[in-house]
Amino acid sequence: MISRQICEAVLRKAVSTGADYAEIFAENTLDHSINMISGKVESINDAVIAGAGIRVYKGLRSVMATTIDTSEAGLMRCAEKAASALGEGKAEIEICLHERLYGDVHPIRIVPATVANADKIAVLKEGVYAAKEYSDEIKQVTGTLLDIDHNILIATSEGIYAEDRQIRTRLIVTAVAEKNGETQTGACRPGRRMGMEMFEHEVSARDTGIHAAKQAVTMAGAGYCPAGVMPVAIGNGFGGVIFHEACGHSLEATSVAYGTSQFAGKLGQQIANPKLTAIDDGTIPNAWGSINIDDEGTPSRKNVLIENGILKTYMIDKFNGRRMGMAPTGSARRQSYAYTTTSRMTNTYIAEGNDDNDEIIASIEYGLFAKEMGGGSVNPATGEFNFAVNEGYLVRNGKICEPVRGASLVGKGSDVIMNIDMIGTNLDLGQGMCGSSSGSIPTNVGQPLIRVSSITVGGR
Amino acid sequence: MDFSTFRNAVVEAAEKQGIAEYELYYQSSESTGIGAFAHEINEFSSSVDGGVCFRCIVDGRMGYASTERLEPAEAADLVARAASNAASLESDDREFLCEGGKTYEPLERTPAPLPATEELVAAALAGQDALYAADPAVIDGSRSSAECAKTEIAIVNSKGLDLHYENSFAVFMSMAVVSDGHEMANDYTIKSGDFAKIDIKAAAGESVSNAKSKLGADVAPTGTSPVVFSPEAMSSLLGTYSGVFSGENARRGLSLLSGKEGEKIASDIVTLVDDPFYKDSMMPINFDAEGSPTHRKNVIENGKLTTLLHNLKTAAAAGIETTGNASKGSYDSPVGIRPFTMYIAPGTTTEEELLKKADGGVLITSLGGLHAGANVVSGDFSLQSSGYMIEGGKKGKAVKSFTVAGNFYTLLQSIAGVSDTVKLPGFGGMTAFGSPSVLVEGLSIAGK
Repeated sequence: MISRQICEAVLRKAVSTGADYAEIFAENTLDHSINMISGKVESINDAVIAGAGIRVYKGLRSVMATTIDTSEAGLMRCAEKAASALGEGKAEIEICLHERLYGDVHPIRIVPATVANADKIAVLKEGVYAAKEYSDEIKQVTGTLLDIDHNILIATSEGIYAEDRQIRTRLIVTAVAEKNGETQTGACRPGRRMGMEMFEHEVSARDTGIHAAKQAVTMAGAGYCPAGVMPVAIGNGFGGVIFHEACGHSLEATSVAYGTSQFAGKLGQQIANPKLTAIDDGTIPNAWGSINIDDEGTPSRKNVLIENGILKTYMIDKFNGRRMGMAPTGSARRQSYAYTTTSRMTNTYIAEGNDDNDEIIASIEYGLFAKEMGGGSVNPATGEFNFAVNEGYLVRNGKICEPVRGASLVGKGSDVIMNIDMIGTNLDLGQGMCGSSSGSIPTNVGQPLIRVSSITVGGR
Repeated sequence: MDFSTFRNAVVEAAEKQGIAEYELYYQSSESTGIGAFAHEINEFSSSVDGGVCFRCIVDGRMGYASTERLEPAEAADLVARAASNAASLESDDREFLCEGGKTYEPLERTPAPLPATEELVAAALAGQDALYAADPAVIDGSRSSAECAKTEIAIVNSKGLDLHYENSFAVFMSMAVVSDGHEMANDYTIKSGDFAKIDIKAAAGESVSNAKSKLGADVAPTGTSPVVFSPEAMSSLLGTYSGVFSGENARRGLSLLSGKEGEKIASDIVTLVDDPFYKDSMMPINFDAEGSPTHRKNVIENGKLTTLLHNLKTAAAAGIETTGNASKGSYDSPVGIRPFTMYIAPGTTTEEELLKKADGGVLITSLGGLHAGANVVSGDFSLQSSGYMIEGGKKGKAVKSFTVAGNFYTLLQSIAGVSDTVKLPGFGGMTAFGSPSVLVEGLSIAGK
């Protein structure tokens, strides 16, 4: 993308006023999506995103400048801007870059950019039509097939000169069902760090459509969820959003470094139920949230965040790591060159436990089974979180009963991870887009079926 | 390379490829931001970004392609990608480009001059001093930041349209973190407008007192009760559900307001305005994302739905004129529909009277998880909330970690009071939402 020699010259300019660290992040991204509505291909988005961000640090100060002009002259101007914002010192470090090849554990067999629109549309239609044909109660179906080919280059004053090519594909089908004048929605959104081969063995477009339609029809016939405090069983896969929100964000250096995390200063302490082990692993082959290297050039790795309830590590980027006095964990991520990198999650999940899945449901006298979760959010400082239940059922006397709609779960992270007192054996991952200060990035959440002994269920 | 040079290269490429109907939409922004923590500047950012979206009508269908590489070699590829994408489309909707030669309402306001970097630095540091001075409960983690940005938009098309817009704004943000030794609470205040006139001390003080009032908050009791939404809470709810007023969603069966024009959809005291020229807007603008002139309109008038919001395509399908609400989320997004400054018009009740009417209920000052807990198709919502109990007709003890549940369509009908002062909270760009305090009867609260 940009030669090693040019990167060296640009980094020299960036550290010319006394920075103790400088970094170039350049990208060239093809972003493509096909959208269907009312049974027809409605629009195609097709964008080239290209630019660079230059960061310099001195002690606990950081400066970032971005540009869309990635010519040598453009990059030099950008570096000069960063250097001059830092102050008026002299160069104190030498720049010498060596190319690093970290390898790629995410093979791509069919690069999406080389597939004709017509072939992508055929896959999309399979999903959309399957949803439409599922039931007469399905009134509308929207579908999106998106692929992204994200090429990044990272060069740092520490000598790193490395590239990565992150290809991802995702199918999204949403269905609207109407029953007795009541409208409800259902959705399914599988994605992988894969090309179009994703649809050969890994993901069925047809099943994606059926899943969305079935959920919409089920919920359209459902009554409102009752409100109150009760035990809740949360389904596997995307149910893991509970850990992502209730705990994961508060373990990011973004909030820990500034003391604004409910878990700051708690390393080595029991913060969760002894049954709970939670992991952030960016190395899972072809998984949606996987990366070979993070956006500061640190190789991704498997980080055990919590082991048997004890806090083992935070997720740390280079800049916030300075304030914390801790090494980076391969967790630095940004949506694009236009955002400032910070520590983020990759594939984050609660590890499998020993509880029998049937016994988890059977243990609940009166409560909720949140089969599928929607998104949520958290205030990392207080740990107060919320998320939506997309498909829920009441549980009475240990049996799953009628579906209920409009439920949400709220609580405090530090309480809820203590209250996760049963953990099942059917670990699965679910795909999401996570939004934070460094933009919107692909992350997996995951867990087996779990039980929260007591949580506030919002309903009516 | 600048837009005007790139534009010429694209026009030439379009002609060469035999494309007669096309549009170029250009957007760029330059921003500078300063962040301070523990009395020191710890973050500085200076960004330049932007790109061009080319769209063209080929065989009646509108193809799109975008790029951030404004290089002549890129022009031919951009045009070819858009034309090829057009050939894959199947929608039978008639597509339009805006005709040139329209009359646009003059923009009366000239943006205030942008602050220099030194002024941003001084403000961020002053913000830190003000935060720590405001109250001994303020702890490290409290941040101050100042940012300014300049945005440029240009639209040109094959029908003679040639529009250009520039806007700039500056904002100051104060985020207070407070602790009583047992628990932490935080809140933030954002102020925008003429940077020199922003009262930093007041903004910092506001964030501190709001954060402090959350300390020791209890969980609200479960039950059905009257709810007063603060302007902040109501604006965020309105923003989440603003899509129900889109003519596009209505036509697609994704809004239950489809075909309800002229019908009563809200309580008599509700008037909902969409105003591209609103006095407190950070980005007043006289043309929309297709280049159509914009204008102020009442979307709901005394409870009756007057109009949905439209762009050229959805208006033609509905057999009416566009309302000038074409929008793009980003320069590379397809044209959609959004309001500009949308707000609930003020009523005649004072804030105090509203709270008196809602005695025994809950004042909700903040809603969370709106992207997840609100279903924009069915209107159902169940949202994380925080606020205060209303005791003796007045703001009482703080409450948090509870949910409020209801349905947006029903809520519009159940509005029983609207206060006399509209606020436009938050950091709205071209699209912003505002509201007075609003009293709604009979919502479900889930807490303890």
